[in-house]
Amino acid sequence: MRLEPPMFAAKLSILPATTLTAILVLVTVALVAVVVVRPGMVKTPGGKILAFIVLFLLPVLCGAMGVSTDMERSTTTAFCLSCHTMESWGQSLHIDDPNHIPAAHFQNHRVPPETACYTCHTDYAMFGTLKVKIGGLRHVYVYYFGTPPAPENIKLYQQFNNDNCLHCHLGARSFEEGATHTADPATMIAIKSNKLSCLSSGCHDVIHDIAHLKEAKFWKESN
Amino acid sequence: MSNADPLGKRLQLAGILLIIGLVVEAFCLLSAKPIAFIIFVAVGGLLIFSGVTLYLFSLISLSAIPD
Repeated sequence: MRLEPPMFAAKLSILPATTLTAILVLVTVALVAVVVVRPGMVKTPGGKILAFIVLFLLPVLCGAMGVSTDMERSTTTAFCLSCHTMESWGQSLHIDDPNHIPAAHFQNHRVPPETACYTCHTDYAMFGTLKVKIGGLRHVYVYYFGTPPAPENIKLYQQFNNDNCLHCHLGARSFEEGATHTADPATMIAIKSNKLSCLSSGCHDVIHDIAHLKEAKFWKESN
Repeated sequence: MSNADPLGKRLQLAGILLIIGLVVEAFCLLSAKPIAFIIFVAVGGLLIFSGVTLYLFSLISLSAIPD
């Protein structure tokens, strides 16, 4: 079966926050250019205030807004799948199989589809986002300066943390009263303490399954 | 302020660094790829930081000169 390319490329659109930041950057460039062309204007009190705004406040604001915009944008599914290596992982979200955990979550909007990767692959702790970003820098380094592994050989650095599942499922009836979860009291304790992985063999173990992507049947999203 | 004025020269240099840094940032904003973010932080961020620092340094060095 021919695999369709992921449908995320069209969603790589410029966000309104990006437009706002871009306008601010361009205005700042124009104002800085005025100071560069006429540095004598900073001799007057008004010129000194203008120079402070133009050469300090506005550039700092532009930088902060740029970082904020990019950080927000880096949480999107389109951003994660913009690297060629991740295309197969994006395709796996369209596998037509309810037992396929990431695909079922993505297709049924159990996670926001536009931030699907980030929602499941972020540690929900104080420095979780920062840890994920540092991991992302490592990905970029390997992608451009190393030898990226084949998509089917990409592995997590650490075992998938149950907190990522429990962030949503903890307290939910289907989880708390699930027959397998409650069959043995020790099981629930082991799950909640991350000693027994949700993705363990025999449990929710059908994950991205990149190795068998070619045999998979795909769901066609209707727009 | 003549072109020989050290303050004017420093402000111009700071401004040029800022303009280049901001232009890099503007181009990086057009792309939603990870490499754009890296270039924005590593190149644009460094230039903006250098420009702002040079401007602040100019203010400090100016105030240190007795009238």
